[in-house]
Amino acid sequence: MSDDAVKEFEEGLAKVEASFRSQLDACGDEQSLRAVNARIAGPTGELTGLLKLMPKLPGDQRKVLGQKANALKSAVSAAFDTQLLAIAKAVRDAELSGPHLDVTLPGRNERTGSLHPITRVAYEIMDVFTSLGFDIVDGPEIDLHENNFDKLGFPPDHPATDMQDSFFINAEAGQKQRSLLRTHTSTMQVREMQKRKPPLAIVAPGQVYRRDDDVTHSPMFFQLEGLLVDEGVSFAHLKGVLTRFAQRMFGDNVPVRFRPSYFPFVEPGGEVDIGCMICRGYEGTKEALARQAECRVCKASGYLEVLGCGMVHPVVFENVGYDSDKYTGFAFGLGIDRIAMLRYGISDIRWLYENDVRFLSQI
Amino acid sequence: MLASYNWLRELTGSDLSADEMAEKLTGLGLAVDAVTAFGTGLENVVIAEVRSKAPHPSKDKLTVVEVFDGTDAHTVVCGASNVPEPGGLVVLARVGASLPGGLAIAERALGGVTSRGMLCAEDEIGVGSDHDGIIVLTREDTTAKLGTPVATALSLSDSVFDIALTPNRPDCLGHLGLARELSAVMKSTGVRTTLTESFSIATVQRASGEFDAGGATFGIAIESSERCPRYAGAVVRGVTIERSPFAVRYRLHVLGVRAINNIVDATNLAVFEWGYPTHAFDLDKVRGQHIVVRVAREGETLTTLDGVRRSLQGDDVVICDGEGPVAIAGVMGGQSSEITGATRNVFIECAYFDPRSVRRTARRLGMHTDASHRFERGVDPGAVPSVLHRVAGLITSNAGGTTVKEALDVVAGKLTETKLTLRSSRIDTVLGTKVPLKEVGEILNALGFKTTPTVEGFNVSVPSWRPDVLREVDLIEEVARVRGYDKIPTEVPHVRASATGTANSIRFVRRLREQASAAGLFEAVNYGFVSMTDLSNARVSTDAVRITNPLSEDRSVMRTSLLPGLASALRRALRHQAGHAALFEVAHVFVRNAGAALPDEHVMLGILLGGARPAWLGQAGEYDFFDAKGALASVLAQWRHGVGRDGLTQGAPIVAHLHPKRCANIVLFGSVVGTIGELHPDVVSAMELVGRPIYAEMHVGELRAAIEKGDIAKARALPKFPSATRDLAVVVQEDIMASQVADTIRNASDGLIEDVQVFDVYRGENIPQHHKSLAFHIVYRDSNATLTDEKVDRAHKHVTERVSAQLSASLRS
Ligand SMILES: [Zn+2]
Repeated sequence: MSDDAVKEFEEGLAKVEASFRSQLDACGDEQSLRAVNARIAGPTGELTGLLKLMPKLPGDQRKVLGQKANALKSAVSAAFDTQLLAIAKAVRDAELSGPHLDVTLPGRNERTGSLHPITRVAYEIMDVFTSLGFDIVDGPEIDLHENNFDKLGFPPDHPATDMQDSFFINAEAGQKQRSLLRTHTSTMQVREMQKRKPPLAIVAPGQVYRRDDDVTHSPMFFQLEGLLVDEGVSFAHLKGVLTRFAQRMFGDNVPVRFRPSYFPFVEPGGEVDIGCMICRGYEGTKEALARQAECRVCKASGYLEVLGCGMVHPVVFENVGYDSDKYTGFAFGLGIDRIAMLRYGISDIRWLYENDVRFLSQI
Repeated sequence: MLASYNWLRELTGSDLSADEMAEKLTGLGLAVDAVTAFGTGLENVVIAEVRSKAPHPSKDKLTVVEVFDGTDAHTVVCGASNVPEPGGLVVLARVGASLPGGLAIAERALGGVTSRGMLCAEDEIGVGSDHDGIIVLTREDTTAKLGTPVATALSLSDSVFDIALTPNRPDCLGHLGLARELSAVMKSTGVRTTLTESFSIATVQRASGEFDAGGATFGIAIESSERCPRYAGAVVRGVTIERSPFAVRYRLHVLGVRAINNIVDATNLAVFEWGYPTHAFDLDKVRGQHIVVRVAREGETLTTLDGVRRSLQGDDVVICDGEGPVAIAGVMGGQSSEITGATRNVFIECAYFDPRSVRRTARRLGMHTDASHRFERGVDPGAVPSVLHRVAGLITSNAGGTTVKEALDVVAGKLTETKLTLRSSRIDTVLGTKVPLKEVGEILNALGFKTTPTVEGFNVSVPSWRPDVLREVDLIEEVARVRGYDKIPTEVPHVRASATGTANSIRFVRRLREQASAAGLFEAVNYGFVSMTDLSNARVSTDAVRITNPLSEDRSVMRTSLLPGLASALRRALRHQAGHAALFEVAHVFVRNAGAALPDEHVMLGILLGGARPAWLGQAGEYDFFDAKGALASVLAQWRHGVGRDGLTQGAPIVAHLHPKRCANIVLFGSVVGTIGELHPDVVSAMELVGRPIYAEMHVGELRAAIEKGDIAKARALPKFPSATRDLAVVVQEDIMASQVADTIRNASDGLIEDVQVFDVYRGENIPQHHKSLAFHIVYRDSNATLTDEKVDRAHKHVTERVSAQLSASLRS
């Protein structure tokens, strides 16, 4: 009985030993490898079955045969591990040398939102001025006639005060109480100076309204007002700040030109032209000059008008209770829409306010 | 303002090129927007003489003309009726010429006669608007040899500057003013002007006067001396009304003015020279031979030169003759006393009218004329006698006749001279650079200011043509302007920091916008005004601020909500097959504020989602409430720490624009900061939308206040012991919210529950009607020890019992 058992056991071991390696090595993928391994060394596998026979073996041989069986089990396990690694390596090698992932499929959970071009440009402009030491302020879009006109030194019958040009809210009210949709952000000069004492360095972006509606005029558009008031502020400082602004905004090499102009609330008043960023004729090369000659944006002049500016008119200081002999200051205003249009090549201002998602997702 | 380069060159004696001159003008603040060249493209168009003319053998109305161009004779067939007799000068376009209008001249057979060239009319070579006949010249028009190119012979070559003149510079509405500016900047000898004074002007400082108008007495009376401080008149007798000489017509043509007749052309020329509008009346039609300047009487009417009958009001100033109004002061003359072909004697008016008065009348009548444009801005009251001399001189040289030797100048009002003090130190402060006093004086003198040196600088008298110079700083601008702004240094100041800095509210709005766009929303910018219908369709407040003078009813009230604007953007997207839109806007809404001067303005954040939700490859259904809630959570992500995932929306708001059963308050740190929900189906259809768009609106100020009120989250140590997760699925009635169940679960354990997350909602088989099954992952953790299974099971059992009991929930396995 026990001799038979020993014989059967030994034959079993010999059979496993003879075939396990070739069986495992023949497996080309992990799944079949695991199946073969289970057939040999799994809970119901051949080798496991043999090991279950151990207690039936005669005591004197049990130890020797047991050692032999365990050695075989280790060998199977090692062979399995080796083949597993080999398969994994083969898979990896196949992938590394195989076809490429289709990386052109879209990304998942894309967040495709954007800031409106006006907002983007406005924040960019504000960043330049805040880095120069200016604070950002804001105020109401509906304001008193006196903040919009009178205190800025507009004569009572200035064309801008006319119903033709501005939107009034309660035109029938007395002059003092009359209100309107502000026609410029210059109201913020009056408001801020009435609120606090110098030194004062502010920029005020926001919506303004005028009674125009065509390809280049929108009844609502965005301006940014700037104001610096302190003792000893001069036109040279005005030039310094606005030149720095233009260069940070449009490039270090962009030429900046100041020329006289007129706004009721500044004196001396001026306008700032910067080199056209569309044709960059200012680069001066033959190609640049050829671009300028063809440029429809600057009408071949090489310059674009982007800012109005000037020294704060003493009458404005007097109207807000500042000492006009002690303090000087400068103010400037620019059209945010215009800069956005230049930057993004927008030819019709109305595109900015239609909020067409096809437009908004273009830029 | 259009200005002729040739004219300015004559006045200044300058040898600048047109482009150089344009640059100088721009540098002075007289911005030249465009330069247009005249008299170009006229090669092969020459002066020729008529040798003979004969009717065309077969064609009526055509004439066969032989002309000689100094070298060759040419036979030309001409359709004009004014071909001059032999010896007359004409303009010949020779074969090979290419005219400005694009017409190429070639040999042409006309009824058997070969025409070699063309005799030109004014409009054909761009020198005028006349097309009634060909150009016929005299030796007064040109002394050039036959065959001379027409551009040379008639001095056609000119450049016209289109100057964007600022309203403060009426003195530059004439060439003399521009020439004065150029002379100052070029430091040249001044303006070359010729003024012949062939008669005398008696100036009287009272309200009325008379003068001998050549046999008859003519009276001038000013009844409204504030509106018309000065009125002068002169009489020219024996004029012959004709076309003006070519040179006059051409000069007016390049300046965009149509030549009319030699009298009107003379006054127009004076306008462009002096910037001063005058008016010529047919003297014989001035009834009663006197002029009265007064305000109109209610009900008076006048038919103006343009043939329109105008009703006048008590605020209008009129020029009257013995019987009634004959002109609207400073705006337009009347038809009754108009210069006609029969006019023999002319009364010339040169007056100063109050700018504001002219402006009001012109505006009221909707008449913007060359005259009103100049009077509104302020002509030079000191120039009245000179202008009168000049106009009379131009008329007599143009139209013959003689000026009656006496003229009258009635000064009824005050003409004040502005005197200013200019401190040298102030110039340096304002400009930030030292300007030598000598240079200051030279600049001011060149511009016509009279200066007297003082210890500090100058006492300055302002010339009468500069109504804009009223203060010291205006003089500083003159100095800066003429020196050139490029002479001022460029210096970046040290900006002193303010006490306040940029307000948190402003920085917050920026972060909000940036978060919203990062959350996948597109920013919209809508007009602040909408229509009342927009507001009522959107079911938002219609108690809106009204605009008195809107451009249209569509934009007549200020928005009370951002919904109408965002909805129109969504509508646009859906109509244009964009398929969907996920938008936000941060902007003001306006709330009426009875009793206050100004309405309240609130900054709002609006979010609108609608249409198909973009999916990763393929469709993923329509946007729903939870897309909007997710977007909202993303927008607020950096501020909503500590607010559980389910804590953002609570309770149902009472707002008319949202679906009553599919909406919520937005709650942050215990404060309601806005509302979110599907749009009410009635709103969807009223606003012509489709599907179930979801709209959220928040009051940004309240949102920020809530965030500032909330505690700043504090970091906690990460857990040391492992957690255990159990799931719980319960069947509850529909109206029990997931957050209610989660709260019940949380409250049921003694601090062992770390997190509760809903992971499934199920309705359908095995679930009773009006019920739903909610499934939760419950994470248990003891912060001081490793949990045993027993302890977790006990806690979970307790939770299960509490949920069943408190929410009448049944367990679902
Ligand atoms: Zn350009």
